[in-house]
Amino acid sequence: MSQNLYFLRERERMACFDRASPALKETLLKIYRDNKPTELDQRLFEFGAVEYHIRSSVSDPHYVHLSISTPLLSQEASVAQGISQGTVQTIKGILSDIVELVEPSREGYQLTLRLDFSKIPQGKDSSKIITEIASIQAAILSCQLKEMLSNVASQDTSPGMYKLIKLLYHPREPFFVVRQPEKTIAVFPMRFQENTDVIIATAFFQELMDVGSSEAWAKVPLCTWSPIPPPELRGEQMEDLSTNGGFVSFDILPHHVKGKRLDKTVWNLLNFYAFVKYHVKCTRGFIQRRMRKRLDNLVKILHKASSEEGGYVDDAQVAGCGCIKSLVSVSKTNTLRRRCRNFTKKVKRMRCPIKIHGFRRFRRRWLTVPKFSSAFKYTKID
Amino acid sequence: MCLQNFPCQEVERHNKPEVELKTSPELLLKPILICRNEAEKCLIETSINSLRISLKVKQADELENILTKKFLRFLSMRAEAFQVLRRKPVQGYDISFLITNYHCEEMQKHKLIDFIVQFMEDIDKEISELKMSVNTRGRLVAAEFLKQFI
Repeated sequence: MSQNLYFLRERERMACFDRASPALKETLLKIYRDNKPTELDQRLFEFGAVEYHIRSSVSDPHYVHLSISTPLLSQEASVAQGISQGTVQTIKGILSDIVELVEPSREGYQLTLRLDFSKIPQGKDSSKIITEIASIQAAILSCQLKEMLSNVASQDTSPGMYKLIKLLYHPREPFFVVRQPEKTIAVFPMRFQENTDVIIATAFFQELMDVGSSEAWAKVPLCTWSPIPPPELRGEQMEDLSTNGGFVSFDILPHHVKGKRLDKTVWNLLNFYAFVKYHVKCTRGFIQRRMRKRLDNLVKILHKASSEEGGYVDDAQVAGCGCIKSLVSVSKTNTLRRRCRNFTKKVKRMRCPIKIHGFRRFRRRWLTVPKFSSAFKYTKID
Repeated sequence: MCLQNFPCQEVERHNKPEVELKTSPELLLKPILICRNEAEKCLIETSINSLRISLKVKQADELENILTKKFLRFLSMRAEAFQVLRRKPVQGYDISFLITNYHCEEMQKHKLIDFIVQFMEDIDKEISELKMSVNTRGRLVAAEFLKQFI
């Protein structure tokens, strides 16, 4: 239970699952809350390939121009026509009184929007609206995947045939969508840098399969993991199929993409890689914390073994109790005496390496020089 | 653990643990190997002034393997906190202790033995608990992820 709560708290802090871009949101909020109109021409870069260009001028204080450049999920679509009409219509539908699409878009960007800040209401709603504007990049990508998944219901693929589409959300981490007549399969080739990550992730995928296949979770897409590429990916390039973490597949059925569920399914699939990487990172941190705690416990046990002898005790531990202090000091004296005795024995052994049994008594009786005191005192002769 | 101070016979004014050097066979006792099974064993090597105990811990699967390696490496890198722990385990084993006559003088022998026995028990217990925790975390995270689809 405590682990569940800890995980939930961590998830709340995860910015990578937010649809809104944090940097863009902060910049737009700053412009909105600024009383004086300012001249602004700023570029923001995210995840290496997403670019925002924000421009506002003193002559036109109510309007802010936002241009977005984002690599599209499907490389084929981006080469052919850029953003699809369906995506454009969806964006036009987002806050239509505040956001206006500018055509043609600014050079180098796929989309340019004109934001009318004077129409944003004051109060708490302003933050909500700006968050929605900052989520437009996520909306563009979600629209693409939504179009692919919503075609599951339309059954436009003939039986026995399937179409494979390669999608790229994170750089160097493509995933595949396979459209079949009755379902759509999303396949994620998993790659990790370290062997430890592979093993932790593999354990997680096993749990994902076990949980997903139980009766309580019958409504969610079926999840499978295999160490080898699934048959649907045959014919793809070797660099896409060479992995160390296996392949995770989700079977998306028509009821998973109906109504509001479409948005949730799309967002979960887009963020699956980030989710797994975050879980692996948190698990490593958890293991490290536990090891550190166990180390402290083991060291305490060892210190007990040495402290009962009286050799090594921290002053802080015995500061409050006088009787224990005296006990410790007596024990220290004993240790010192024993050490002195050993040292003198060592010295004697070095001076008399040969030990003859009974010689000590003989020497004491016959070879010692008797001490005598003289009545005459010594006087120095000048 | 009947260890006594013994200066090095090879080098003057040096005092080295003979079990590590193994230059004088007359100072070494016969090593004892205790095996529970092929995967778990304990090697005890004794000499006149030092004792080395090496342990191989049970590792049933890959997850236990990495957890054991990580944990024991973590402890070995902090060997100075334990005093009797060796920084690098003996080849073929996961962790090693080196106990010298000085340790026997500073600490009580029976407590030292108790510590080593408890250490062995705690290692097994800790690895099992870690594995269970990692799997439990994975299950909770998987449930949270799948909940998003509903």
